[in-house]
Amino acid sequence: MSRRRTHPRTLAQRALLYLLLAVVAVVPLFPLYWLVISAFKTPAEFVTIPPTWFPASPTFDQVNAALTQVPFAQSMMNSVIIAGGATISVLITSILAGYVFAKYQFRGKNLMFWGIVATMFLPPIVTLVPLYYLVNSMGLSDSYIGVLLPWLANAFGIFLMRQFIMDVPDELIEAARLDGASEFRIVWQFVVPLIKPAVVTLAVFMFVFSWNNFLWPLTILRTEAMYPVVLTLNRLMSYTMSFDYQNVVIAGALIASLPTLIVFLISQRVFVQGIASSGVKG
Amino acid sequence: MNLTSTTGGGPISGLPRPRRRRTDKAHRGITAAIFLSPTVLIIGLFTVVPMIMTIVISFHRWSMFTPITEMDFVGLDNYARLLSDSARVQAIANTGVYVLLSVVITVPLAFLIAMLLYFPRLRGRNIVRVILFATYVIPTIAIVIIWSNIYAPGYGPLSAMIQAIGITPPGWLSDPSWALVSLVIFNVWQMLGYYVILLVAGLTQIPEELYEAAKVDGAGIVRQTRSITIPMLSGSLVFVVLMTIINSIQVFDPIYLLTQGGPAGSTNVVSFEIQRSAFQYGQAGDASALAVSLFMLIVLVGVVLNAISKARKR
Repeated sequence: MSRRRTHPRTLAQRALLYLLLAVVAVVPLFPLYWLVISAFKTPAEFVTIPPTWFPASPTFDQVNAALTQVPFAQSMMNSVIIAGGATISVLITSILAGYVFAKYQFRGKNLMFWGIVATMFLPPIVTLVPLYYLVNSMGLSDSYIGVLLPWLANAFGIFLMRQFIMDVPDELIEAARLDGASEFRIVWQFVVPLIKPAVVTLAVFMFVFSWNNFLWPLTILRTEAMYPVVLTLNRLMSYTMSFDYQNVVIAGALIASLPTLIVFLISQRVFVQGIASSGVKG
Repeated sequence: MNLTSTTGGGPISGLPRPRRRRTDKAHRGITAAIFLSPTVLIIGLFTVVPMIMTIVISFHRWSMFTPITEMDFVGLDNYARLLSDSARVQAIANTGVYVLLSVVITVPLAFLIAMLLYFPRLRGRNIVRVILFATYVIPTIAIVIIWSNIYAPGYGPLSAMIQAIGITPPGWLSDPSWALVSLVIFNVWQMLGYYVILLVAGLTQIPEELYEAAKVDGAGIVRQTRSITIPMLSGSLVFVVLMTIINSIQVFDPIYLLTQGGPAGSTNVVSFEIQRSAFQYGQAGDASALAVSLFMLIVLVGVVLNAISKARKR
């Protein structure tokens, strides 16, 4: 990339740009900073006026309380099962469907593809009532399957996979076919390695999306033992009105955010690129 | 499926492969059907069927606490009632304000930040990009918890900061005239990074030569932005506007978690009203009529934006 376009010439210009950049970094970071320091404050310090900008005597008590006083570990496990299950399923269904939409010709293909993509713009709230009715009447409320069922396939995933698989050369697939490889093996052995960045993007996207999904579990789950961590946090929030407990809730929020943050930070280079190209390619 | 694959071999082995050729086409048709069936089944059963059911239910009176067989056909009654029920009218108006504010704040801000991050020779811009995007991956409930603390009167940092410069802070979430705005700020903070990433990607697609030519003609940065960047970026900008509208039109989690539509109905939005009508009052028909209206609104927005972006291309 040519770097000559309008680059800042004078020292004043550069200083101003760096100042702006600092503001753009600090403002979004501040709430995250506040989350972390609040989780390590004592309940008394948490409600002092004016607020302190750094914990005077940092303590792990709130983190411990969040982990032990409520079934937090159980609900983290539930979240792992729900988010992990949805991610694996969406990867499989999206890669297979994306491959067919990218490389096969049949009548009604485009209609079917764009019909599926259109569901991307359908807010979950619109279909919530019948969805609840359907899953409930299947006797699947309060089960992992019930939480997972509507999220096992996903239009965004199919769209993303198709965009990237279209760039895989046809010759490669033909050569593999002449070699006698099954279609399934072609996908697994030749296509997937070539579109790895897109697969990683979709995996991270789905994991974050399902980990954070609130409305559907709230609708379909009854017993607390089944709750993913976002619902446990909600319960903590609504049942603990005492100030003593408020930063236990904050400690819980910090713990609940860690898995998605870690997954994001590990994959950020690939993930950000993948998300970016989903917009440009669209 | 794996039965048809051979191990080893390859084109270099030079062995003739006469078998299977004739049946390849039919075989692949079956494979396509197998590959597509899980997706079609799931999206059909859990998206398309519920969508149709929502439309059907919207013409009926049905309490969700009774069996579906007790549904009563009432024609357009539910739709007519949408407009006479003041809580629902307010929910629609609040959604409009929320969407409008979100677009007006998010899109220009995302554009300016994207321009800044796209400046060449600026160290640390990748770190800023990561920080911006990190807010997007955190569970909304965690963000709700932290922002309700930031907004807290007295011990919250935001009020303390505003007080420090000599201004009396508003009551944020407890003040009917500020509550919706506070929720918009929250939404902008959460989503901004996502849109910045999309716009930066759009900026990298603009050919460098255009700027070179403009510079030869003596165009300054403002002129370049107006005549090259914005027109060339219009596709991405329209996409960002569309995503902002779709995202904010269906806001639910922060409303449910923070305000429950209050104070005084000032943050009651359509999606919250749908959930409350259906699952708290059992009025599935009313909820479905509202849901269908919401969906039609999104379709309308999509059609209008599509027309705008097509008109711009000409």
